[in-house]
Amino acid sequence: MPNVTEGRVADAATGVRLATRSDESDLRELTSLAVRGDRAAIESLLGHLRPMVVRYCRARLGRVSGHYHIADDVAQEVCIAVLSALPRYRDMGRPFASFVFGIASHKVADALRSSVRSAVPTQDLPDGPDERPGPEETVVRYIEAQHARALLSRLPEHQRELLILRVVSGLSAEETGNVLGMSPGAVRVAQHRALARLRQIAELESIA
Amino acid sequence: MTAHVEDDTALTDTVLDALARREIVESDADPAVRLLSDPAIRLLRALVADVDETGEVADYRLSSVSITPST
Repeated sequence: MPNVTEGRVADAATGVRLATRSDESDLRELTSLAVRGDRAAIESLLGHLRPMVVRYCRARLGRVSGHYHIADDVAQEVCIAVLSALPRYRDMGRPFASFVFGIASHKVADALRSSVRSAVPTQDLPDGPDERPGPEETVVRYIEAQHARALLSRLPEHQRELLILRVVSGLSAEETGNVLGMSPGAVRVAQHRALARLRQIAELESIA
Repeated sequence: MTAHVEDDTALTDTVLDALARREIVESDADPAVRLLSDPAIRLLRALVADVDETGEVADYRLSSVSITPST
């Protein structure tokens, strides 16, 4: 079975990046095994894709009452939908990630439409010291991230989607292009324009 | 596309790629450093930091997802 963790370019703890160019063929083989019902391949594939799906959903849906429960639940729905659709998946030459993010995009749109934001479960009481950032740092980060989301929402949809996939989900220009149906070169030009637009919006807001 | 625009596009790609890899380097020798004070990059970094939340993404409830595909 291909080892897709080899060649990963960044922090293994956070699972950043789908794959380097060198293991794209391994990922394709892994997908092929998963489609045929190989449990280890399915688990490996899911472990590979899940962090990116979580980031994508979190970036698009944001926090509710300070938590990512809704976004994480949608990410879980995406994973389940991918698993359910696996037996029917046919490799048409496009990377599996484009199939996954297609599902994710629809699930996020459904969640935004329904906007059912009722009860939010509380966390269990911790058994030991809490190593996470303190309340002040958490609030500052939360405000900055909300500001980022607000400004991103003012970009045209294709530019917002491109920046979220490329930067937040952590896809390469090639992978982003595969998901959005663009060449890597077109992604690089489009991301440059999207960033310029975001910069313009941020600067206009700071003046106002 | 002019050489100047091509340079800027390549620089943007370098910085966004580093952000995507969570590997941004704040070295004075790096020409991409000037982009780090860019308001758009700051916004994206804030969003990335918030979305990543140490541990939560990596640990995210894998155990509760069935790995058995439907038939």
